[in-house]
Amino acid sequence: MSEIKVSVIIPVYQVEAYLERAVDSALAQTLEEKEIILVDDGSPDGSPEICDRYARQYPQLIRVIHKENEGLGLARNAGAQAARGEYLAFLDSDDTVEPQMYQEMYEKAREGDYDIVMCDVNILYVEEDRSVISVSYPREEIDPGDYIARGNNITYSVNKLFKRAIWQENRYQRMLFEDIALIPALVSRYPHMGYVKKPFYNYYRRSNTISTSQVGAMVDIVKAYREFLEECSPDFREEAVYCAARQILWNMTDSRRLFQADFVDFLQEYKRYFLMNPYLKKDKKTGKLLDFLDREVIPDTFICVHILREIPQGYRDSLREHFPQSRLLEAGEEILKTLPLPPSVQEAVERGNFSYAEEYAALYLLKQEGGLVVFPEYRVKLPLKALRMNRVFFGFEDQESVSAGCFGALREHYVIQALLDTYWEKNIFNQALLPLGERIRDFLMVHFGLQANGRNQLLQKEVQVYLPSILSYDMQDGENCCSYAGYPVPRGYQLVSDGALRLWSERLMENWNLYKRERDSRGPAGKQSLQEPVSGGSLREQQIEERARQVAELYESSTCWKITRPLRALGKWLGR
Amino acid sequence: MRRSLLGGIPSDLVVTDVTPDFQERVPRIRELGLFDRVLEARVRELNRTYGLAKEKELTEGFWRAESHLRFCLSQELEDYSAVYFSNFDIFTRMLACRYAEEACEFICYEDGFSTYVIDYLRQDRALVNRHPQGSLLAGKVKEVLLYEPRLAMRGDKLPNRPLPKISPEDRKLVELLNYIFDYKSPRQEARFLFLEQSFRAEGIATNDLELMGICRDAVGQENFLVKPHPRNPENLPWKLGLSRRYESRVPWELLLLNEGARGITLLTVCSNAALTGRLVFGLDMNTVMLYRLFQGKVLWKEDPVLQRYLRKFQSQFAGEHYYVPRTIYELERILDYLGGKHE
Repeated sequence: MSEIKVSVIIPVYQVEAYLERAVDSALAQTLEEKEIILVDDGSPDGSPEICDRYARQYPQLIRVIHKENEGLGLARNAGAQAARGEYLAFLDSDDTVEPQMYQEMYEKAREGDYDIVMCDVNILYVEEDRSVISVSYPREEIDPGDYIARGNNITYSVNKLFKRAIWQENRYQRMLFEDIALIPALVSRYPHMGYVKKPFYNYYRRSNTISTSQVGAMVDIVKAYREFLEECSPDFREEAVYCAARQILWNMTDSRRLFQADFVDFLQEYKRYFLMNPYLKKDKKTGKLLDFLDREVIPDTFICVHILREIPQGYRDSLREHFPQSRLLEAGEEILKTLPLPPSVQEAVERGNFSYAEEYAALYLLKQEGGLVVFPEYRVKLPLKALRMNRVFFGFEDQESVSAGCFGALREHYVIQALLDTYWEKNIFNQALLPLGERIRDFLMVHFGLQANGRNQLLQKEVQVYLPSILSYDMQDGENCCSYAGYPVPRGYQLVSDGALRLWSERLMENWNLYKRERDSRGPAGKQSLQEPVSGGSLREQQIEERARQVAELYESSTCWKITRPLRALGKWLGR
Repeated sequence: MRRSLLGGIPSDLVVTDVTPDFQERVPRIRELGLFDRVLEARVRELNRTYGLAKEKELTEGFWRAESHLRFCLSQELEDYSAVYFSNFDIFTRMLACRYAEEACEFICYEDGFSTYVIDYLRQDRALVNRHPQGSLLAGKVKEVLLYEPRLAMRGDKLPNRPLPKISPEDRKLVELLNYIFDYKSPRQEARFLFLEQSFRAEGIATNDLELMGICRDAVGQENFLVKPHPRNPENLPWKLGLSRRYESRVPWELLLLNEGARGITLLTVCSNAALTGRLVFGLDMNTVMLYRLFQGKVLWKEDPVLQRYLRKFQSQFAGEHYYVPRTIYELERILDYLGGKHE
């Protein structure tokens, strides 16, 4: 075989349903001088066997590397290390490439001796059965600064051809979003780029992939942008910052709102870059990102006080799974020697009431450090991340009780300081060594007008109090941030207090009654169901008119339409 | 007062019917010979007639003051060097008219928290204070006697002097009072005693009955008793089933002098009777003041001053066993704690 022009590297992990399609699309390339490297990243399904079968079938074209699972980036690195081609291309094992892709891109690369050549991307939304072509740049001639600042698809590895020499000095990192961490920085350091303005790469976008789902490890996205800004060429720093700003704003306000607080931390870390960026000064839309610079967010610190008891493994596991980069500030009994202890806490310790002492110590550490207090009996979930955008938050346990199992606040927050002050006052909470939840509830009732009704409340635009389903019980899928796990219950079950259950039932009944009221208030037009379409043939004109009239009636009698009537009238008048 | 301030000075006592039942005590007081004379005065009707009267009616009333006094008093008044009074009512004002030109001082003595917080003679407080005869009392009052003068916050210029405190150890006094009020040790035991106030008598809408219900539920019916206010027209807490019927008719203070605190917890919205134990006898008994949970006005015009008074009491005079819950939950916890349910 003549000299290999392009090495196509396909990392393989749990893709037995798609792998053949991807490999076949690589084999079908019009470019003959190619090699295909399948990197089996320790896949537990049938993918390794498929790889081996292809290798047996095409020994001249396909090689297989079997390795232990280390993630996409390191699988690509392994492929790049083994590659022999003049250029490298990466193909994800659930995507495909058009037959001319590597031929035309290689020719372009040779034509200009480019370090990198890119093409457009055809994004196929699988569940929606539609596709969109993502054009990388408006012109075929690339202006590197302009491309970094305003171009598309800059973070993709897969729509690019790279000179193999680049991979002798650069490597993906072991993380999610390894593309973001590396590729834009490479583009800034190897700005001699060519462009084939054709949608050669077919990117299949599905739900439940890294692009569309949320897991704790995705906090790597922030690390990825940090890498991008740290590793980009200083010659294109301003463009790189603007590029990152555009993407971060989209992530923060659209696709990854859950990680908003992590992004705010990042923005504040690189405040100087963002505030002084000339592109951001001119672009009002992206400039909105700067508003986040003033937002205070609760530190990514978990506070767990455990006096004379260990933190359960389940606690650490849930933290590692959902908050892998968070700091765990844990304190055992030794903490009591370092804190100023109010008399009631001393008494509690003498009487062996350690939970009282734990609560005080946790509150104290929260005031000092800021963060999220989570006691050992509780298990966190990923949505808790979003609560870092509060200034201070608590949650109901049932209609009247406030939970002290999980709560959070900014550093040195005055509410936490005031709660700590109550430990030095003469009150029933100290005399009777009452649990912290009661102290919090009564404090909020007295000073912030909390209604003890188990409902969401934002008090004086400062203190957020959540439903029991947020911080105490996992009552609704996707809603729960933290739940009690103090007693073992069978898998799939949830231990719920009768008070919480009563509240939940009432809430469901309220919603049901509201629905019925709304339905009944719509009158006959709302009650009438539309006629079923005539099967097996098209509707007659009269029928169409009749159905249009029914739809219009339904619309006219809807509450929403009635409520917005004055607004529409005003809009019409202003329009004139 | 008779034995301390007025020791050796010839004195008459006037017992009015402002508090029902008090006139029943007159024979025994006379029997004891503590005073030269004991006069009875039916002033309730007089006060009702002129309490909210218009200027013309007031003028007519004061014009006939001598007749009114003769009509309501059981005996003729004499000349006095001082009149001690606790009520700024029409009767006292008519007395002030009577002694206006004489060297007779008027001295006010404590009658609950109102003496600490209300400037009864302030001109804008009532029409009678702007009336030529009605306002004569203002010129006659020399001073106010209080058990704790430092708590006074009426805002008038009257000097506050200490009223001699009563020692529960003064058995002779206690026996005298026991005889006057025909004191018998109560058969009813209740660890939590709710002191009702005269809101209904004064037509003030409140949630005091609701608070009683919460307290009763928290401590248990068997431990709970409401002492009705003597001026309220009926014993509503009993009628509504909130409490057993309170049987004793003796003043609360006398009960305290005889029985001591003895594990009783006092509950009240803001009755000064609950503070008396501390202010007058120096006792530190479990006291739960409910004024922060109270809805409605206690005093029509001086509520903020009353709040300051209660705060000052709490911060400077209250003992270790004084509680002011700010939420119903806190109240329930306090009652748990005081009821021994708390571990």
